[in-house]
Amino acid sequence: MAEKLSWTELRRALAKRADVSEKTAGAFLNAVQAQLLEALKSDKQVKINGLGTFRVQAVAPRKSVNVTTGEEIIIEGYNKLAFTPEAGVRELIESSKVESGEPKEASAPEIDPIQKLGAQAEEIVDILGDLGQSPKEEPEAEPVVEEPAPAVEPEPVVAPEPVFIPEPAPEPEPEIIVQKPKKEKKKGHFWRDTLICVVILLLLLAGGYFFLRQELSDIIRSFIKPAETEVVAEEPEAVVAEEPAIVEEEAPETVAEEPAEKALIPKGKISQDQILAEFLAVSEEEVGPTDAYPNLIKVEEMHEGSRLTWMAKRFYGAKVYWPYLYDANRDVITNPNNIDTGTPLRVPKLTKAQLDTTSAAFLQLKQEAEAACR
Amino acid sequence: MLTKDFIGLVSNASGLSKKDTELLLTTMNAIIRENLMDGKAIQLQGLGAFEIKERKERAIVHPRTGERTIAPSKNQLVFRPVATIKDELKSI
Repeated sequence: MAEKLSWTELRRALAKRADVSEKTAGAFLNAVQAQLLEALKSDKQVKINGLGTFRVQAVAPRKSVNVTTGEEIIIEGYNKLAFTPEAGVRELIESSKVESGEPKEASAPEIDPIQKLGAQAEEIVDILGDLGQSPKEEPEAEPVVEEPAPAVEPEPVVAPEPVFIPEPAPEPEPEIIVQKPKKEKKKGHFWRDTLICVVILLLLLAGGYFFLRQELSDIIRSFIKPAETEVVAEEPEAVVAEEPAIVEEEAPETVAEEPAEKALIPKGKISQDQILAEFLAVSEEEVGPTDAYPNLIKVEEMHEGSRLTWMAKRFYGAKVYWPYLYDANRDVITNPNNIDTGTPLRVPKLTKAQLDTTSAAFLQLKQEAEAACR
Repeated sequence: MLTKDFIGLVSNASGLSKKDTELLLTTMNAIIRENLMDGKAIQLQGLGAFEIKERKERAIVHPRTGERTIAPSKNQLVFRPVATIKDELKSI
């Protein structure tokens, strides 16, 4: 590390590499020098991509003792310039260990390492035994050992031997130490990432469920009562003058039978329809057509979790028509947001004029219905 | 301050275009990195020097298991500011 790349050399290399004149390179470098200082003074922190961050750091004042008099003195706080290399650069420098690190080890500490390593020898052998690892990478370690060896030889000849055996140890050892925490870190990241993924997935599912639960419950119901949905689907389209199919679900037990009969209605079996109408006459009187809505699609019981808006969507194709459901059932609904389950609701057949959402009548109705919610 | 702002400052001071300044800066960084990899220190006049310093291997104790191991020696990039810079920044 004795060699230094001087300012001039840097300028020359820069001019050559960037293909500019040395004068330009010099002007640039001078500007960098001056501006870095200015920037540090004004901003306290300068980040340079590809190198690192210069930062002015405050050092807090601290107490100390005057060595000669024993008096307590305060060392005042000051700022110092700190440099943090970029992660990529740091790794690059660390990886340069093999080339630049080894000759240094061999040349500088001539006395220390042999004694130290001798003392560490037992420790390292123990650790190696624990790990059950045989020494690796002997060829790399050898040059290191051979260089200090001449320094030791004049002294006791026995010394180098214990050094020689443990020498390979520091090489594989560090590898294990370094790799372990890295693996753990990666593992931690993996689990954290999976956790985040799972949470996001759950949120999505929950959101999807919330959004589609009406459709889902419809699908489920259509499985249970496949016939009913057919009727529901066909009737709103065919606004026929035919006798409306008024069906009242009397009790849960009969539910399964009724839809089957209903499915037949559109196919022209009027006799059965009449029988059914007679059969249900009693309940019809309770919840039947009103003056305002002479034709009903059906009478449906309010079931748990249902909404007027959802019913409107199911029967009329859009949620906006829910005020008609309210209007047709004013006698049983006090608050559209809170209807008792099991309440039979009339589902009126709407005329074309009523389907116009911009009409004054509809808007009036809507206002009334919304007012009832409060 | 980020690289972009610094490039703006340098470009103003040197009279070079921003594009050229950026190119020169990245080239300078590349040269500095390469020379450091070759084991050379870099002296920046009036600023300081980039050097590679070796952190010696040391014994460490795993805080949880109490296992004693040896942390490998590694190289670190350090920046040693020159005295004038140190003095100038001491009191700002």
